[in-house]
Amino acid sequence: MFVSQSMTRKVITVSKETPLLEAQALMANSNIRHLPVVAADNRLEGIITDRDIRSALPYDMARGRAPEEERRKYAHLTVAEFMTTAPATVTVFDTLQDALLLIQEKRVGAFPVIDADGKLKGIISVRDLLRAFINVLGIGEPGTLLCILVENKVGQLKRIVDAITEERISFGSVLVARYWEKDKRAVFPYLLTNNVIRIKKKLQDMGFTLLDPMQWYLDQLPKSE
Amino acid sequence: MKRTGFLYDPRYLLHDTGPYHPERAERLEAIHKGLQEAGLLGQLTRIPSRMVDMKWVETIHAPEYIRRFEELCLGGRRTLDCEDNQMCRDTYEIAQLAAGGVLEAARMIMSGEIDNAFCAVRPPGHHAERGEAMGFCYFNNVAIAARYLQTAYQIERVGIIDFDVHHGNGTQHIFEQDPTVFYYSIHQHPSFAYPGTGREFEMGSGQGYGFTKNSPVLPGSSDDEYQRLIEKDLLPAFKAFVPQVIIVSAGFDAHKDDDMADMRVTTEGFAWIMRTIMMMGEQYADGRVLSVLEGGYALDRLPELAAGHVRILLDSK
Repeated sequence: MFVSQSMTRKVITVSKETPLLEAQALMANSNIRHLPVVAADNRLEGIITDRDIRSALPYDMARGRAPEEERRKYAHLTVAEFMTTAPATVTVFDTLQDALLLIQEKRVGAFPVIDADGKLKGIISVRDLLRAFINVLGIGEPGTLLCILVENKVGQLKRIVDAITEERISFGSVLVARYWEKDKRAVFPYLLTNNVIRIKKKLQDMGFTLLDPMQWYLDQLPKSE
Repeated sequence: MKRTGFLYDPRYLLHDTGPYHPERAERLEAIHKGLQEAGLLGQLTRIPSRMVDMKWVETIHAPEYIRRFEELCLGGRRTLDCEDNQMCRDTYEIAQLAAGGVLEAARMIMSGEIDNAFCAVRPPGHHAERGEAMGFCYFNNVAIAARYLQTAYQIERVGIIDFDVHHGNGTQHIFEQDPTVFYYSIHQHPSFAYPGTGREFEMGSGQGYGFTKNSPVLPGSSDDEYQRLIEKDLLPAFKAFVPQVIIVSAGFDAHKDDDMADMRVTTEGFAWIMRTIMMMGEQYADGRVLSVLEGGYALDRLPELAAGHVRILLDSK
């Protein structure tokens, strides 16, 4: 799961010399909030966001509602003065997990994606990551979530997966999570079927406990082990 | 007492889903037996099943899909689009008989031969999309009936109420841009149950925005939560919409003894839901309520659930 598979490749960019108002219009027209700033050879020089632009302009200008003569006063401003230089970036070799953790750490909405030479290859935004995460969870496809409580020992997950596979049911995803009893784990297979009566019974016959999904609250979990 | 129609045909048992499949012929046998043992069959007007005129099916389903279903089924394939949808060679024909029977029920209601109807059909329909079989469903019986009522009888506003424990994704998607068909569904929350759609924010689109309403219910909920959500979400919506006919996607799998999902609705809870629907039927739709079976898999509960359902259709004022 590399960033390169989930990023947006056709990036709209500006240069340092681009007038600020032009960058503002570009964002509004393309419905985006981040514009990488690149040199002529496509090397990344910075990033400018809708927030940078809003804080650079008076209220009416920022909302794009100012009269033409007012706008002319700001026509000389360029991207260079307001962009973030040396922004946080990821490379095409970073993983989705890297990007998820970094986005939480840096509190930004998007990362330019660069190659080893610092040239811009794409951009990955919170929205791209969400789409990738929905994909990983498999919840874009119709299915049913099972909640199974297992002993925390080797081989339990295999028994579950084998039992489900024997029923010729496909997996959307399998999540394994901590449970508040230290020696237990909660397993959440998302099964791409409507037909779960038989597999539920089979798992119970194998000695697994099917959890009432309402009994499993994330915030009841111990913070650390 | 109302003149209530009852659609049932032993040929509906011929749709063979193989061993271990929950959507099985015994479901209909249990329903039929339930009505018989409760002494209700004699009070009902039998509705003959009919082969559907395919022009009505084509108002809902894509021609490529219909052709694919026919060819794969008659060619002996055991599944359509997904492992869930088990078929036998008769499935295509039985699906036509089911849709055709539901249209006959609609016709009899509109001609005044009966006041309302319960259609014990299979295969069910509410998961079937325009171009895809899903969740044991092939033709969307309820959607076809809604369009039929609009086209053949100039009904302007059809209200669909779906209380199957699963969201009727097919019905919702078919009508989501259409302000003349209101789709309401109450079902187990999509994060826990098939098919993973039917969230509260799904409210239709374009012209149809505001004419789709979903009440997702958390697992383990019971009658009181169904009652609360129906009073909060459905009653005001139908009061504003004023449906001229109400079609019910009647699934009984939210019952506490049904293993398909995790809901705890009681037999009395289902009766409350149906009485509430009939009240709206009388108030807005001249009593025209067309109920069509969807899910419900607890074979030992289906007899009492079907009998309770039909009694309410008969006793409605």
